[in-house]
Amino acid sequence: MSSQFKQLEKLGNGTYATVYKGLNKTTGVYVALKEVKLDSEEGTPSTAIREISLMKELKHDNIVRLYDVIHTENKLTLVFEYMDNDLKKYMDSHTVGNTPAGLEMHLVKYFQWQLLEGLAFCHENKILHRDLKPQNLLINKRGQLKLGDFGLARAFGIPVNTFSSEVVTLWYRAPDVLMGSRTYTTSIDIWSCGCILAEMITGKPLFPGTNDEEQLKLIFDTMGTPSEASWPAVTQLPKYAASAQSFQQHPHAGKDMKQLLQAHCKETVDDVVINLLHGLLQLNPDMRLSAKQALHHTWFAEYYQRS
Amino acid sequence: MDTYNKALNILMKSPVTDDMIQFLTHATLRVMPNCGQGAQAYPSPPTSPRGAAAAPQQPRLPSLRTFITKLVRYTNVYTPTLLATVCYLKKLQRILPKDAKGLPSTIHRLFLACLIISAKNHNDSSPLNKHWAKYTDGLFSLEDINLMERQLLQLLNWDLRLSDEDLILDLQFLLEPIKQHIEITTKQKKRMHALKKQQQMQQQMQMQMQKQNQFYSHGRNASVSSNLSAATLVSNGNGNTTSPRSGLAGASLAGSRSCSNGSLSAKVDIWHDKTVPSDLSWNLDYTPVSLPAGQY
Repeated sequence: MSSQFKQLEKLGNGTYATVYKGLNKTTGVYVALKEVKLDSEEGTPSTAIREISLMKELKHDNIVRLYDVIHTENKLTLVFEYMDNDLKKYMDSHTVGNTPAGLEMHLVKYFQWQLLEGLAFCHENKILHRDLKPQNLLINKRGQLKLGDFGLARAFGIPVNTFSSEVVTLWYRAPDVLMGSRTYTTSIDIWSCGCILAEMITGKPLFPGTNDEEQLKLIFDTMGTPSEASWPAVTQLPKYAASAQSFQQHPHAGKDMKQLLQAHCKETVDDVVINLLHGLLQLNPDMRLSAKQALHHTWFAEYYQRS
Repeated sequence: MDTYNKALNILMKSPVTDDMIQFLTHATLRVMPNCGQGAQAYPSPPTSPRGAAAAPQQPRLPSLRTFITKLVRYTNVYTPTLLATVCYLKKLQRILPKDAKGLPSTIHRLFLACLIISAKNHNDSSPLNKHWAKYTDGLFSLEDINLMERQLLQLLNWDLRLSDEDLILDLQFLLEPIKQHIEITTKQKKRMHALKKQQQMQQQMQMQMQKQNQFYSHGRNASVSSNLSAATLVSNGNGNTTSPRSGLAGASLAGSRSCSNGSLSAKVDIWHDKTVPSDLSWNLDYTPVSLPAGQY
């Protein structure tokens, strides 16, 4: 470890690393030190290789900055911008008694706006995040939100990549990916954004499944069942047949999202945010809004009209 | 889409060929011209005699081409992963000093490190370094592999992103024949299309003329043929209305490209040959490297 940084308390365990708070001794600035133990049999993990090569060029207010990389024989340390908290912990601290309470609607809007800003920048730069969830959205005391943990991120758009469908934490995984799609694109991240928006409003995860089948069932219960008409080519997905058995007999249109969210929200859930939510949570990936489109949604009028 | 992008997509979907391996070998050798194969081509005196207790002999260094071929065979690597290594090799070529020197095995290391980085960067699952060590048939140890990987990442400064432009530029040699084939087939398609249109026009006109002839029962062949040539810019105005089609086709082809009817029909046959997948028809004589099943 370079003596440039003083290692302070442990902040958490990432997917393949441990994160410590650090102090840059020369500048006095706090940093986050993500330490990756190198397993000699594996060599440098591909997750680290991609995270570093992608984050090096992603310089945006809503994406955590990677300052430096220290690579030694048995340890790889990524030096990141320090953030006070993550969205998961922040939401967990917002409880009334023992029950989770959602965030104030104005804060939900500000966080969702920043999430979409950061994501739009990734997508413009041909990068998929593939693991958007509250734990990976870092926040600071100034209310800034930044995308972090690019361990599963990938470049897309060149004819070189092969993709796995084992991506995104289950609760935030899109139905097309759950049904085995490997040709997904930016819409995979948009679904996660929809799940996060609902979760910020209610304080509860929208689709907390325990396995792939249950996850799909929860999605279809709420969002309705897909058909060739609403989602052409859905029947071509690798795991369609297996997952279709459960819903083919009883196709339905899903539940009223507004009622569903209102039950867990003190403030009034207006139609505008429900409209945005439906735009993000389209079953058919081609029908989902893009991050850019979502930023132009009426719900965000106060932001784009100001800028 | 640009023709080069089309060609790139076709190339990436083709199986690994000997041509590709040859191309990769040359690209690797160009990174360090002062090391490796060139030097090996000249006979060098045998190494000085050592004590009887000398360490067990290292495996003989295979030619770079053999080395690459074996790696391709053992790993069954995807074409795109393999070809993307060229971009990393070219980056290295720009970074390393022109007179950089190394051991004869340095070029082997450079290629292998680039391939490992390409595999890790472009696939969601790829072999571990201990597997890569095995694929070298004992030429490199796991420690060697880990070191070369780390050194390459540092040399490239972790800058591993590739764009379509990078790929097109660095793979131009392999793309050029595909691009040319696409252009020829598109031209032929266009020509066939134009030919069909002309034939249709001709037929329509004939029908019109027949109507006109019926109307002007005194109409003469000569006036009919002059109408024809004016409408279709056929210089052949000898009043031969018996076979206007062949005259038209021949004239328009001769005008657009100096290509006889014979050669045209031969090319059209290739284009129409359904036994050759149009994607691969540029590379009819490819020899796929025989590989074990199971791609990672």
